[in-house]
Amino acid sequence: MSPVLEVRDLRVRFGSMAAVRGIDLAIERGQTHCLVGESGCGKSVSALAVMRLLPRGAKREAGAIRFAGEDIARLPERAMRRLRGDRMAMIFQEPMTSLNPAYTIGSQMTEVLRAHRGMGRAAAVERAEAMLTRVGVSAPGMRLGQYPHQLSGGLRQRVMIATALLCEPDLLVADEPTTALDVTVQVGILKLLADLKRDLGLAMLLITHDLGVVARIADVVSVMYAGEIVEHAPVGQLFAEPLHPYTRGLLRAIPVPGKVRRGEKLATIPGIVPRTEVGFRGCAFRDRCEFATQECAEPVAERVEGAHHWRCRLASGWLEAA
Amino acid sequence: MSAAIEANGVSAVFNQRAGTFGVRRRVVAVDDVSLTVPEGMALGIVGESGCGKSTFARLLLGLLAPSGGDVRVGGQVLQAMDRQARARLIQPVFQDPASSLNPRRRVGEIVALPLRAAGVARSERRERALSMLSRVGLTPEMATRYPGQLSGGQRQRVAIARALVLEPRILICDEPTSALDVSVQAQILNLLAELRASFNLTLVMISHNLAVVEHVADEIAIMYLGRVVERGAAESVFAAPHHPYTKALLASVLTPEPGLGLPDLPLGEAVPDPANIPAGCRFHPRCPVAIPRCATEAPARGDVECHLVQSVPT
Amino acid sequence: MRTVRRLPLVLGMVVVGFAVLVAIFGPALVAHDAFTQNLAHRFVPPEWLAGGSPAHPFGTDQLGRDYLARLVLGVRISLMIGLTAVVLSGLIGTTLGVLGGYFGGWVDAVVMFIVSCRLAIPIILVALTVVFLVGSSLTVVMLTIGLLLWERFAVVSRSATRQVASRDYVAAAWCAGCSRRWIVLGEILPNIVHHLIVVATVDMAIAILLAAALSFLGLGVPPPMPDLGLMIAEAKDYMFFKPWVIEIPGLALFALVLGINLLGDGLRDLLGGESGG
Ligand SMILES: Nc1ncnc2c1ncn2[C@@H]1O[C@H](COP(=O)(O)OP(=O)(O)OP(=O)(O)O)[C@@H](O)[C@H]1O
Ligand SMILES: Nc1ncnc2c1ncn2[C@@H]1O[C@H](COP(=O)(O)OP(=O)(O)O)[C@@H](O)[C@H]1O
Ligand code: SF4
Ligand code: SF4
Ligand SMILES: [Mg+2]
Ligand SMILES: [Mg+2]
Repeated sequence: MSPVLEVRDLRVRFGSMAAVRGIDLAIERGQTHCLVGESGCGKSVSALAVMRLLPRGAKREAGAIRFAGEDIARLPERAMRRLRGDRMAMIFQEPMTSLNPAYTIGSQMTEVLRAHRGMGRAAAVERAEAMLTRVGVSAPGMRLGQYPHQLSGGLRQRVMIATALLCEPDLLVADEPTTALDVTVQVGILKLLADLKRDLGLAMLLITHDLGVVARIADVVSVMYAGEIVEHAPVGQLFAEPLHPYTRGLLRAIPVPGKVRRGEKLATIPGIVPRTEVGFRGCAFRDRCEFATQECAEPVAERVEGAHHWRCRLASGWLEAA
Repeated sequence: MSAAIEANGVSAVFNQRAGTFGVRRRVVAVDDVSLTVPEGMALGIVGESGCGKSTFARLLLGLLAPSGGDVRVGGQVLQAMDRQARARLIQPVFQDPASSLNPRRRVGEIVALPLRAAGVARSERRERALSMLSRVGLTPEMATRYPGQLSGGQRQRVAIARALVLEPRILICDEPTSALDVSVQAQILNLLAELRASFNLTLVMISHNLAVVEHVADEIAIMYLGRVVERGAAESVFAAPHHPYTKALLASVLTPEPGLGLPDLPLGEAVPDPANIPAGCRFHPRCPVAIPRCATEAPARGDVECHLVQSVPT
Repeated sequence: MRTVRRLPLVLGMVVVGFAVLVAIFGPALVAHDAFTQNLAHRFVPPEWLAGGSPAHPFGTDQLGRDYLARLVLGVRISLMIGLTAVVLSGLIGTTLGVLGGYFGGWVDAVVMFIVSCRLAIPIILVALTVVFLVGSSLTVVMLTIGLLLWERFAVVSRSATRQVASRDYVAAAWCAGCSRRWIVLGEILPNIVHHLIVVATVDMAIAILLAAALSFLGLGVPPPMPDLGLMIAEAKDYMFFKPWVIEIPGLALFALVLGINLLGDGLRDLLGGESGG
C-alpha cells in the first residue's frame, strides 16, 4: 500500500538560517506518525511546509511532497486551497489562531461544508452537529450558536478537531494539539484523536515535544533535532532501544514518577540546541554529544536496520561496546 | 522542626469587572488555605491551570496582600515585615525567564540587585554576584551580557542566582521549568536540588507537572479551584492517592512507556471557574464517584477534603 | 531593504541635527545682525534670483533686515520653544502617568480625572487668554505651551507603565527588597523611555507649530524677535509680490517639523524592541 503522505528531502530556510534540513516522512492510512523534538527544532515549519502554509520569508527548496500519490509540491495555490480542509486538514496548538473570534462555531463549521461539499444549510448544520457529537461535545445544538471565546480550551480544541474532520480528510496534521491544555484534558483529546484515527482510517502526523504523549499514541516516531530527523523507528523499538545519542539523552532526562528517586540527579544533556546556517556540515548534536569525535564534523550517513533509521556514526550495539 | 513559612487561612479574592459596564465577578483564586512548610523541607504544589497556584505563590512572597488570613515567615507576619528583612528570608523564581529579568540591565547588575537594595558596598556586590553566577554554572563573562543574549535555561540560572545571592532561607519557585525544554529542564532541576542542599533551603515548588514535583518535593499539596484538596508526604500521595482528583491527576501522567496506551479518565468535562465555585464539594461536577451529599455539603477540612475519605482534620 | 527602512530615521537625524547646529552656531556665523534695519535695502531678493546680491544670500525683509540672520535666529527660537515645552510637559505628564499606572486604584482614578480635565481645555484658547492677560514674551509662550501639552506623555506613560509593572522582573525587584522609588526609577522608567522619546518628538513638533500659530496671530513671541511663525506672519502681507519672503520661513518650518517627525518615527522602529543590548 502506498503511503498517504510521502515527503522526500524537504528543506526550508529563513534567510541564511536552515530551519528544516532535508527530512523524509512517510505516513500510511491508519497510522499515527509522531514528530518529536525540542522547541525550535523545526517541527512546526515542517508541518506548515507539508500543508503549503509556510509564512512569508520562508523558502522551501527542492523536495517532493506526495499526497495520495500526487506531487503537491508545485501544485497551484488554487488547487491547494481545494485540498486543504477537504482531503488534508491541520489543527494547531492554540485553537484561537484558526477559529475566527467574530463568527459562531456553527457558521464556521457550515462554511467549510458549503465551500468544499456544496451542501445546503440544513444539511450542513446537521452534519456539523453530528461531528460535534462525535468529538464528545455535549449539547452540540447550543454550541453551534456560541462564539469561540465562550468555550473552554479543551472544548475549543474539540471544536477545531470536529471542523478539521468535517470533510473526512485522509490526512490530519496536528501541531502540538494538547500542549496548551491541562493534563487531565490532554488525555481526553489524545484519546479522541486515537479513536478518530482508528474509526476513520486517518493518516495522522502528530507533532509534540512530549515523549510521554509519543509513547502512548504513536505508531511510528521521528525524532527531530536542529532541522533533521535524527532517528526514526516504530514506537516500541524506539523506546526499547534508542540508537541516537540525542534520543537516548532525551529519554533519560525526563523525570518519570517512580523511576528516579528524589535526591538522585537527573541525567542531562549539556548545552543548548544550536542554530544551523545554510551549508552546515556534520552532526548538529556534536557540541553536546559525549561520543563526538572528529568524524562527526563530516556529513553523517543514515544507518538503517530493518525499520529503524538513525543518523549517527555509531552502529547499533554501540551501547554495549561503550 | 520549626515552621519556616506558614499560611494561616489565607484567601485571595479579586473583584473583576468585564468591561466598564460589565457584570462584577468575584474571583476567589485562593480560598482559606492553611499550609505549613517546616525548615529545610520541599513542598510541592500541583494543580491545573487557573487553580490558584501562582496566586498562592504571590501571597507567600508578600507580593499580594491576603484578603483574609496571614502568612508568617519565621513566626513573623510577612505583611508587617520591612522589605529588607523580608528579602533576606524569602525569594522567588518565576516561570517565564524572558519576563523575570529586566531587559535593560546587564546580568551582573540583575544578580547584584538584591545586594544593592540591602545596602552592600559596590565592590563586595560585584564579588558576590560573580561568585553566585559561577555557583549556578555561568561564566563571569556572562555578567556583562543582556538577558536578550542568553538562552532560556541560562536566563533561568540568572534568576536563580539573583534569588540566592542574599542567601535567603526560603525559595518560592513558580513553575521554574515549564517554559524550558526537557533537556534544559533536567539541568535546572539538578541545579535547584544541589543548591537546596548546600544553602539548606526551604523550597516551595509549584508545577502543573507531577513528575517534576515528585522529583523534588518531600511533601505535596494538590490544589483544586483555590483549595488544597489533598496533602501529605510525597511518597504516600504518589503511592496511595486518596482524593478522586488526585487520582485523576496521577492517572493522567503520561510516562514514556509505549504499550500502556491512554488511561481511562472518568472525569467530567465541566470547566472549573473560580468566579463561580460550585456549592458543596467544589469538585462534584467532575467527580466520578460523587454521592448526593457532595452537591450540597462541603467536605470537612483536613488532609484530604472528601466525604468518602476519613482524614485527619487540620 | 534595511537602508530603506532606516531612511526616515537618517533623514530626520540629518534635518534635526542640521537645525540644531544652525540654532547653536548660526547667529554667530552670519555676517549681519538680525535686528539692524536698512530701509534703503528693503526686499533685496535672495542671491539666486535676479537682482540678488551675495551680501544678503537670502535677501532682506520689509525693513531691510538680513533674512538669513533672521531665519537662523528664528530656528534657534523655535527649537528653544519646542525643547523647553517638551521637557516641561514630559516631566508633568510622565510623573502623572507613571504614578497612575504603577499605583493604580484611586491614584490612577485621580490621574485619569486630571487628564480628562486637561483634554477638556482648548489649548489655543487658553494660550491666547494667558498671553492676552500677562502679555507675551518668549518665557510666557514656552511655559504656557509646556504646561498645556503633557496629556500625550501622561496617557502613553500610564499604559506603558501598567504593562511593564506586570512583568515578573518588577515583582522580583520588589522581592529583592527594592524601594518603590527604585522600582519606578530603576526598573520601570528605563523600560518605557523609548515610548516617551517618540512622544517627545511628536509633542516637540506640535509645540513648534503651536508657537508659530500664536506668533502668526500676533500673540506669540513679540517682535522684533524672529520666531518662524512671526516671520511668516510678517511676510503674509507681501507674499503676492515677493513670494520668497513667505517661502523661505515656510519651508524652514515645514522641514524642521517634518524632520522631527521622521526622527520620531525612526526612533520608534529602532527602540521598539526590548533587547536592550
Ligand atoms: N489580578 C487578578 N485579577 C483577577 N483575577 C485574577 C488575578 N490574578 C489571578 N486571577 C484569577 O485567579 C485564578 C487563579 O490564578 P493563578 O494565576 O493563581 O492560577 P495558576 O494555578 O497559577 O494557573 P497556571 O497554571 O495557568 O499558572 C485564575 O482564575 C485567574 O484568572
Ligand atoms: N516566520 C519565521 N521567521 C524566521 N524564522 C522562523 C520563523 N518561523 C520559524 N522560524 C525558525 O525556524 C526554526 C524552527 O521553528 P519551528 O518549526 O517553529 O520549531 P518547533 O519545532 O518548535 O515547532 C526555529 O529556529 C525558528 O526560530
Ligand atoms: S554522529 Fe557523532 S556527535 Fe552525532 S550523535 Fe553520533 S556520535 Fe554523537
Ligand atoms: S466529596 Fe464527593 S464530590 Fe467531592 S471529591 Fe469526594 S466524592 Fe467527589
Ligand atoms: Mg512549534
Ligand atoms: Mg501560574
